[in-house]
Amino acid sequence: MKNEMLAMILAGGKGTRLGKLTQNIAKPAVPFGGRYRIIDFTLSNCVNSGIKNIGVVTQYQPLILNDHIGNGASWGLDGLDSGATILQPYSNNEGSKWFEGTAHAIYQNIDYIDSMDPEYLLVLSGDHIYKMDYEDMLSKHKKNNAALSVAVIDVPWEEASRFGIMNTDENDRIIEFEEKPENPKSNHASMGIYIFTWARLREVLLNGFKKDVDMYDFGKNVIPFYIKSGDNVHAYHFEGYWKDVGTIDSLWTTNMEFIDNEGDLNVRDKSWPIYSKNPIAPPQFITSAANVKNSMIVDGCFISGEIDHSILAANVQVKEGSVVKDSVVMTGASIGKNVTIKRAIIGENAIIGDGAVIDGKEEIAVVGNSEVLGVMINEG
Amino acid sequence: MCAILGNEHEYNGLLPLTANRPLSTLYFDCKYRIMDFALSSAVNANIRTVYMILNEGRVKSVFDHVGGGREWGLDSIGSYQYLGFYQDILRKKAEGKPYFNDMIGFLEKAKSEYTVFFGNKMLCNVDLRSILDVHQANGAKITVVFKRVPKEKIAPDDCILTLTEDNRVQKTDIFSELEDNQELYNLSMSIFLVKTDWLLDLLHKGQNAGAPASVQDLLNREMTRVKTRAYEYTGYLSNIHDIKSYYDANMDMLDPEHFNALLFSSQKVITRTKNEVATHFYDKTKVKRSQFATGCIIKGEVEHSLISRRTVIEEDAVVRDSVIMSNANIKRGATIQYAIFDKNVEVEAGVRIKGTPENPVVITKGSHVVADIYGGEK
Repeated sequence: MKNEMLAMILAGGKGTRLGKLTQNIAKPAVPFGGRYRIIDFTLSNCVNSGIKNIGVVTQYQPLILNDHIGNGASWGLDGLDSGATILQPYSNNEGSKWFEGTAHAIYQNIDYIDSMDPEYLLVLSGDHIYKMDYEDMLSKHKKNNAALSVAVIDVPWEEASRFGIMNTDENDRIIEFEEKPENPKSNHASMGIYIFTWARLREVLLNGFKKDVDMYDFGKNVIPFYIKSGDNVHAYHFEGYWKDVGTIDSLWTTNMEFIDNEGDLNVRDKSWPIYSKNPIAPPQFITSAANVKNSMIVDGCFISGEIDHSILAANVQVKEGSVVKDSVVMTGASIGKNVTIKRAIIGENAIIGDGAVIDGKEEIAVVGNSEVLGVMINEG
Repeated sequence: MCAILGNEHEYNGLLPLTANRPLSTLYFDCKYRIMDFALSSAVNANIRTVYMILNEGRVKSVFDHVGGGREWGLDSIGSYQYLGFYQDILRKKAEGKPYFNDMIGFLEKAKSEYTVFFGNKMLCNVDLRSILDVHQANGAKITVVFKRVPKEKIAPDDCILTLTEDNRVQKTDIFSELEDNQELYNLSMSIFLVKTDWLLDLLHKGQNAGAPASVQDLLNREMTRVKTRAYEYTGYLSNIHDIKSYYDANMDMLDPEHFNALLFSSQKVITRTKNEVATHFYDKTKVKRSQFATGCIIKGEVEHSLISRRTVIEEDAVVRDSVIMSNANIKRGATIQYAIFDKNVEVEAGVRIKGTPENPVVITKGSHVVADIYGGEK
C-alpha cells in the first residue's frame, strides 16, 4: 500500500480518568511498561504496516507529546518520503478552532490531508496497547469495496454495554451502531480504528459542516450517517491483545500483566518491533544492597532497595532499605531510604522522601508527575 | 574547534577482541563503545566537524555505530564527518607523494580556529572548553592533556612527560625506555589542542620532510620542539591496551564512585540508542552489584558483572566477575567466572567457564561453547 493510506492519530484526549497522571500530559503520552508511552504502540503499528505519513492531532497539554514525537525519527519517519506531522488547533478568519470531536478534528485538518492526497484515511486513537496490521485491514477494506471499515473486537457480553457496539449482518456489513447500549445485540465493540475511503469522507464532512448537520463525532454522527445513507460499512474483526489503559486501575493492571505475561503482547518479537524515543542513559546499576525479583528495569536506574514485581522506567533511583512492590515507577522518579511503596503508580520525576509509606491497599495509590512527598523542607 | 580522532595504533594485547574491529569500537560498560567518550567530549564542546583516521578493513563497526551521527548531533546543517585511512597515508608516503593532503583538505574546509586531536585508547571524560581556555591563556603552540598515574596504568609505548614547575613540557619519553622508578608518572593522554593554522603548517612541512605518518607520533615529537603546556586531568581515566586493562576498566564501573565520575559528570556521554524492551528479572534471580543494559532476560544469578543488551541468562546459570557483550545466551546451570564474552556467544547448559582476575578468559564473537573452559595460566 505504501503511500496510498495516510494515518491520523487523534491524540488530543485528556484522559480524565487517569487523574493526576494526566494533569500535565495528554493520555497518549502516559508512560507504559518502563520503556514506552502509550502512543508508541499505535505509531509502531503504523510504521510496521508500511504507513509512511502520520498526522498526530494534539490539543490537551501537548508539550511532552510533541517533544516525544519530534520529527518522527524514533520511528524511522524522517526519511525522504515519510514524516510525522504534529497538527495543533489553530485560528483563522472564521475564529478559533478547538477540536470539538473526533470527526471535527479531521475536518479541521482537511488542508493537511489534501496536501498528502491519500486514497484512504486511517483514523486511530493512540489510547490503547495493542499490535495490529493496518495493511491487512486495508486489503479487506478494498476487497469489500467499503466506504468505511471499522475494526471491532469481541468483548465479554457482560461488558458490551460499556462500548460502542456494531451490529453486523452475515457478511460482516455493519447495519447498526449503538453507543453503550443497555441491551446489546452483539458483542462486536468498536476499537476506534477506522479506514475511510478519503474522497467520500471528505465529501461527507464538507457537506455536513456546510449545511450545519452535526458531524462532530465519528461514533455519534459520521458512522450513523454512513449507515443511513447506504454507504458500504464493514466490520474488520481483530483478535488478540488489546488493552484500554484509560483508568488508574487498568493502567496498573496492564503494567502488572506485562510483567507476568510479557508473552501476550510479545514485545520482543523482532518482526513487529515497538519503537520509542529512547533516552541516552548509562546502564542500570543494581548494587550489593539491592534485591530484585520479578521486575522490569531500564537504563539509568540506580537500585539499592528491594524491588518485587514492579516496573521501573529510566533514571529511577531507589535507595537502601526501601521496598517497591507491585508498583509502576515512571521516568526520573527518586525514592529515598526506607520507603515502602506498594500497589502504586509513581509519576515521572516524583520525589519520595526517606521513610515515606505509600500503600495502595484499598485502591491503587498515585503520586503525580513531579510531586514531592514526605520530603522535609527546611525553611529556617 | 574541530576534532581529529586518531585510530592508527592497535594493540596485540587486545586480541582477539580487536580482531575485526578497531580499538575505538570496543564495547564498554554494557552499552558504550570506547570512541563514544572522545566523540562526546567533542560534541559537548560544540565541535561539529570530526575527522577519523581508521585502519583499512576496520570500518564496518564504526559505520554501524556512528551511522549518520544523529545521536551526537552530527547530522545537522554545518556538521561534517570525514574518514581517512592510515594505510592510504602510509602508501602515499612510501610512494613519495604528499601524504597529509586529505587531512589538510579537511582542516581547510572545517575552518575552525582550533583543532583537538584524540588518540584511541584513553577512556576519559574531558572538558575541552576548559582546556581551550587554558590553551588561549598560556600562549603555547600545543596543550597536551596528562594525568599522574602509577606504572600499572601505563602501556610500554605510552608517552611520559617531564614537566617544569609551571607545567611546561621539558622532555618526553617512551615508557618502556625509562629506567628510573617513580611513584607516579605524567602520562600523556594523547589529547592535543593546537591552533589549526599551526597544525596545517606542521602537516604541509612535515609531509615534505618525511615526518611520521601517524599524527599522534608527529605531535608527540613536536612537544619538545615547540612551546608545549600540559593540562592536568583529574577525572576518571582508563588506559585500554590489553585484555587485563580492558577488563579492569569495565569492572571499575561497578564502583559507584568511578561510575558516577565517568558517566554522570556535567558532560553527558552519548552513545547510539537502540529500541529495547526493559530488562526482565524473573522470580528466582539473584543479582548483586551488577549493571545491565536493556533487552535482557535474567532468570539466573549475576554478581559483580556487566551484562549488555539482549543477554539471556537462564535458570540456575551463574555469572560472576565477568563482562558479557550483547546477545549472549547462557543456558541452564552454566557457570561463568572471570570471563569476557564478545557478542553473540552461546553457552550450553551446565558448561563451566573460569578464568582468573589477572587473566580473564576471552570467548570470541559468535562462539558456541559446549565444553568447559578453564583459563588463567599464561
